Amino acid sequence: MSGTEVTTTVHSDWMQYAPLIILLPMMGFAVILFLGRVFNGHPFWKKNLKEGGIIALLVMGASFILSLLLISEFLKGYSGLDEIFEQIAWVNTGIWNGGSTTEPVSFGFGIYVDHITVMLLFVAAFLCLLINVFSIGYMNTDPINDNRNHRFYAEFVLFCAGMLGMVLADSFLWLFIFWEIMGLCSYLLIGFYYERPSAASAAKKAFLTTRIGDVFLMIGLVMLWDLFGSLDYAVVFDTQNIEIVAENSAGTLQWALGLMFIGAVGKSAQFPLHVWLPDAMEGPTPVSALIHAATMVNAGLYLVARMFPFFGAESLHGDLDDLAFIIAAVGGITAVMAAGIAFVQMDLKKVLAYSTMSQLAYIFTGLGCALYLANTLDWHNDSDAHYIVVVAFGAALFHLFNHAMAKGMLFMASGSVIHEVHHAHHHLHHGDEHDDDDFDAQSMENMGGLASKMPITATAMLVGSASIIGLPFIGGFWSKEGIIANAWRVALDDPRFLFPAMCVLLGAAMTGFYMSRMWLKTFAGKPNTEVAAHVKPTNGWIKTPLFILIFVTLSSILLAGMGFTHWAADTEYSFLSEKNILNGILYEMEHAFANSDAFFFILTYVVIFLGAVVGPGIAMALYGGKLADGEEAKPWMRPVIRLNTWVNKRFHFDNTAFRESSLATALENRLYIDEYYDKAMVNIVAGFSNKVAEADTEVIDGTIKAIESGSQSLSSIVRSLTTGSARDYILMVAVGTLAISLLIWGVA
Amino acid sequence: MSNATIVEPFGDGFVNALCPELILFAGLLLLILLPNLGRGTFRIPGTQLRLPWLLGGKRFKLSSDPRLPAWIATFTLGGAFLDVLYIFSQGLERVSIVSESGKELLLINGFSRIFELIFFGALALAAFSSMNRLQVNGIGSKISERELYNNRRQADFYILMVTCALGMSVVALAQDLFVLFIGLELASFSTYVLVAFLKESKVGVESGMKYFIVGSVASGVGLYGLSMLYLWAGSLQFSVLSAAFAESGTTALPLIGIGFVLVGFGFKVSAAPFHFAAPDAYAGATSPVAGVLATASKAMGMIGLIRMLLIIAAPESSDGSAVWLVCLGVMAAITMTWGNLAALGSDNPKRMLAYSSVAHAGYMLAALTAVGAWNWDAAVAGDASAAAVAVMTALIFHLVVLVAFKLGAFLVLSILESEGGASSLSSLGGLAKREPLLAVAMFIFMISLAGVPPMAGFLSKLLVIMGIVRIAVGDMGAEIADGGIYVLGDMHWVWWLALLMLINSAISVFYYLRVVVVMFFDEPEEGREGPLPRGWQVRVAILACVLTTVLVGVAGDSLIRLCEMAAQSLNYNW
Repeated sequence: MSGTEVTTTVHSDWMQYAPLIILLPMMGFAVILFLGRVFNGHPFWKKNLKEGGIIALLVMGASFILSLLLISEFLKGYSGLDEIFEQIAWVNTGIWNGGSTTEPVSFGFGIYVDHITVMLLFVAAFLCLLINVFSIGYMNTDPINDNRNHRFYAEFVLFCAGMLGMVLADSFLWLFIFWEIMGLCSYLLIGFYYERPSAASAAKKAFLTTRIGDVFLMIGLVMLWDLFGSLDYAVVFDTQNIEIVAENSAGTLQWALGLMFIGAVGKSAQFPLHVWLPDAMEGPTPVSALIHAATMVNAGLYLVARMFPFFGAESLHGDLDDLAFIIAAVGGITAVMAAGIAFVQMDLKKVLAYSTMSQLAYIFTGLGCALYLANTLDWHNDSDAHYIVVVAFGAALFHLFNHAMAKGMLFMASGSVIHEVHHAHHHLHHGDEHDDDDFDAQSMENMGGLASKMPITATAMLVGSASIIGLPFIGGFWSKEGIIANAWRVALDDPRFLFPAMCVLLGAAMTGFYMSRMWLKTFAGKPNTEVAAHVKPTNGWIKTPLFILIFVTLSSILLAGMGFTHWAADTEYSFLSEKNILNGILYEMEHAFANSDAFFFILTYVVIFLGAVVGPGIAMALYGGKLADGEEAKPWMRPVIRLNTWVNKRFHFDNTAFRESSLATALENRLYIDEYYDKAMVNIVAGFSNKVAEADTEVIDGTIKAIESGSQSLSSIVRSLTTGSARDYILMVAVGTLAISLLIWGVA
Repeated sequence: MSNATIVEPFGDGFVNALCPELILFAGLLLLILLPNLGRGTFRIPGTQLRLPWLLGGKRFKLSSDPRLPAWIATFTLGGAFLDVLYIFSQGLERVSIVSESGKELLLINGFSRIFELIFFGALALAAFSSMNRLQVNGIGSKISERELYNNRRQADFYILMVTCALGMSVVALAQDLFVLFIGLELASFSTYVLVAFLKESKVGVESGMKYFIVGSVASGVGLYGLSMLYLWAGSLQFSVLSAAFAESGTTALPLIGIGFVLVGFGFKVSAAPFHFAAPDAYAGATSPVAGVLATASKAMGMIGLIRMLLIIAAPESSDGSAVWLVCLGVMAAITMTWGNLAALGSDNPKRMLAYSSVAHAGYMLAALTAVGAWNWDAAVAGDASAAAVAVMTALIFHLVVLVAFKLGAFLVLSILESEGGASSLSSLGGLAKREPLLAVAMFIFMISLAGVPPMAGFLSKLLVIMGIVRIAVGDMGAEIADGGIYVLGDMHWVWWLALLMLINSAISVFYYLRVVVVMFFDEPEEGREGPLPRGWQVRVAILACVLTTVLVGVAGDSLIRLCEMAAQSLNYNW
């Protein structure tokens, strides 16, 4: 990157080790991959290294510890400076200034740390570590993975390196490079079971769909480069530079950011580039957890969040509100669409996949609204407006945090369920006639009543679902409520935003329904199959991360109390700087449940009613029920089961009519979007590409072949001069000498 | 030149200044002495008294160890290498060795030191990895070619390596054409013998012989050129000659002399059309020796050219109209194209590498041409001396990093060679399956040779091309921005050399990658499926080359700075 006059402020001791956070997993990648041959051949090493899992755990652990040190340094050393900046030059000498430039151009990698970085760094490093622990319990106990887990762990750590690198990078160019590393790894990991055609095609689909977004992202970046002459954050976020650009080309900037947003849409699986994400469930469950909670999908959100300085710039006031609306609207559409499709999914992981899409859409809506507020309010001078903008942006980021934690936990819990159901099936039917029938260990049809059999998993699922639904006091409630409130706040100002605002409100109810449905169908009621009746608790590697995440999700209130929403967005704010934690919690409570503004007061209770009563209520009426006789859930889950039993008995109704309606069919077929894409691909793209291929073989290959054969024949002529006889060589020396003499003679 | 410390031969500070060379000399003595230590006795005439005098007779266990000479040579050369590094880390001092009669003999500065780094590094690696290469067992009646080496010949081999290093470092330091010539011949004769060292192999002897004959002819022509210069200026001192050139360098005699000297050094750098013996020699020599020829020996030739053209004949050329400029430019163009075209079709990997080193010689000659044209047009030259330093830096940098990947590639071949020949590309077949790490190393060397980022080869090629273009363009860019109008023809013609380099690089990718294809996708040859010959020394040497290639590629800053310093230390006439 061209670092023109960048001030280098090394801010803390741990900063210099920050590149190690990325480099360690990268080295881990090489080590695991190359050592794979070694330890797969030796039972001792294979067992003790868990086929590379332990190496991965070590590097991820080291990365996590370094991240924590960096974060704590950042939080402690806070002194009004919002970024720590360091550039490690690749090549940085005067030699580079070719031709006319006078200042040296350096190519290098730098670390950029601000509040958003810190938050995502924690999310990524923490979840990657936990998912790594989980993987050891999940991957290594499955015989199908034997002798190829080293490939899994190698790609896993590279994926983590990509995410950590993207978060820490100091320029959009490096962001893009790491972004693509993740793209590659997602392809490799989704297609981990490459012998299955469905997995192979899912991997291709994920790769190609995100690639479409990436092309736009790249164009956007090129435009941005053209505007600023650099992609360094330090340059593009500079107020003066933005001012200069804003004067002449605010419109171009909006287009550039818009194109970059398309890249985010692809990566975060938003409409209309969402089609890859449900198929990505073909990968092993740890990969789903990794993609959906810790890394890939957050990348798109991170990119949009990184655009905040443009939207917040005074000089661009009111110029970018259209883009903000588009971001919010894309979020709104996806929120409702994905939630609708999740209604009818039977596959446990697919429900979660659509839930991811829907929740990410919430965050996009939240970001869109926050960006709109930042762009239209005079928040630099008006302290009330400042607070509104900051909290709106913070709410979206806080939801990102809550969702990542909850969704990581949900995916791991679902993995735990699938793993144990699969084992139970294997155990039960090993050797009999059902051994190789196509039993689907992921289908909720084959589960039910697992609450008493897998207490930790069931609890994790319950807490995670509650967090996603936004049940009062738990996890996502604190952020989701903020997003919805802000969407309506913007809608009051600009009627266009009524659409996303309605969408998120509706989405809240829908979330309540499908998440409850998932939990009830899996854990409540009586076992649907014999297999489900024989499920055993899972192993410690899987339980540990679930256990940890339950507490993290539940302690979201503490973060809220510490002013997380304010902190995440405001560079002038630090944790606990205004209120102590108790006051903070009380403030948040008051803000949520007893808002002084009548409109928001009502809105809050509407949201709670829809999300926490209507949605789950309908689900309870339809699904679940009492556990099988003799089974007893853990005390903290008993009320849920009891409530469910009561509602199910009292309000149960027949939903066959809906299930057979054309809407349900359409939802089951994902609203036919995939089919339209396929048609378009086959008819337009494939036709075009055939023509191009023809031209390629004839014109380009022809030319290259001609060059190749031409140079080969030249080569044989040239080589035939090397006769092997010393006499000829001396002759050539003589000829050369003569030629030189004549030439010099002539010139002289 | 003014701030150089002047030291008389064997006077104060002499040992300090010539420490690396003295290390070599001590090593040489050790190499001669140590393997000969034994229980030899001396009978005092007329008595029965036998005095042990330790030379000859039954060798001690230690001194009969066949690996001993190799270790001595490695430690000697490696020690000299480290010593030079240490000198660099201590900060360089310019030291000039001047004879009593006031003749400047040797000059120690950054430029000569960095070339010593190349020589000692390359030879140390070659000596270290030859430890596995030269067989040490099986002397007796039934001797096969590869079992021939006993202790005696081991010592010979490494003695030659050390003398070669000594000769080369003299070339690097020389400030007098006569001294330079002696160093050159010392190094050359050592290499002639090293090439033909496998005297039992017909190919080896034949190629060594050819190399010697053609080399002698070229040396003869060069010497003739030197004598012409002496005739003209009455001295062989660089300072005297360059002053004479500045005064009246356009007369025919010195120019023809320069032309003849060009032939002599052209052979050393294997520039077309003097390169013909090189592919034969590389193919016939053992691979580490071939690697030395392609790196250290070539660097030695480049020093000669740099000294001749830039130091002696530069004052005359400072306006870019040097008579040798066209000559050198044509030679560069022919050399790089010829080398690449010939490499394209060779099936023998060693010949392929030989031709590729011909092509690299062409690139370096192009850079040298550009330096010669550094100040061609005062109107657009810009900061011309900075540009010239940049090209010079690129040239030195290229020579330094070439040691890593060119020698490394030869070392990989040397492992295959000790298995039974590496004379056809198919002998590399299936290397990826037989020893994956070795295949990866070879892959890195190949893409570095081809100039793929982030390898060192990319950086060096980029620097060379950028430097040439910068000299050709000068400040045109800035003037165009200010409204000046220029067309392609306004640039200096060395620009075309940069373009030709680009085209040639594109061609070269083909044959470099063909090696990779064979290694990774072809099956091993019949009878070569098993594991490769053992030997950790050569593998350690290859690892060192790989690490250098990659590390310099991603973090070549400090090395570039070192080269820049060396380039600047050369410019006392600029």
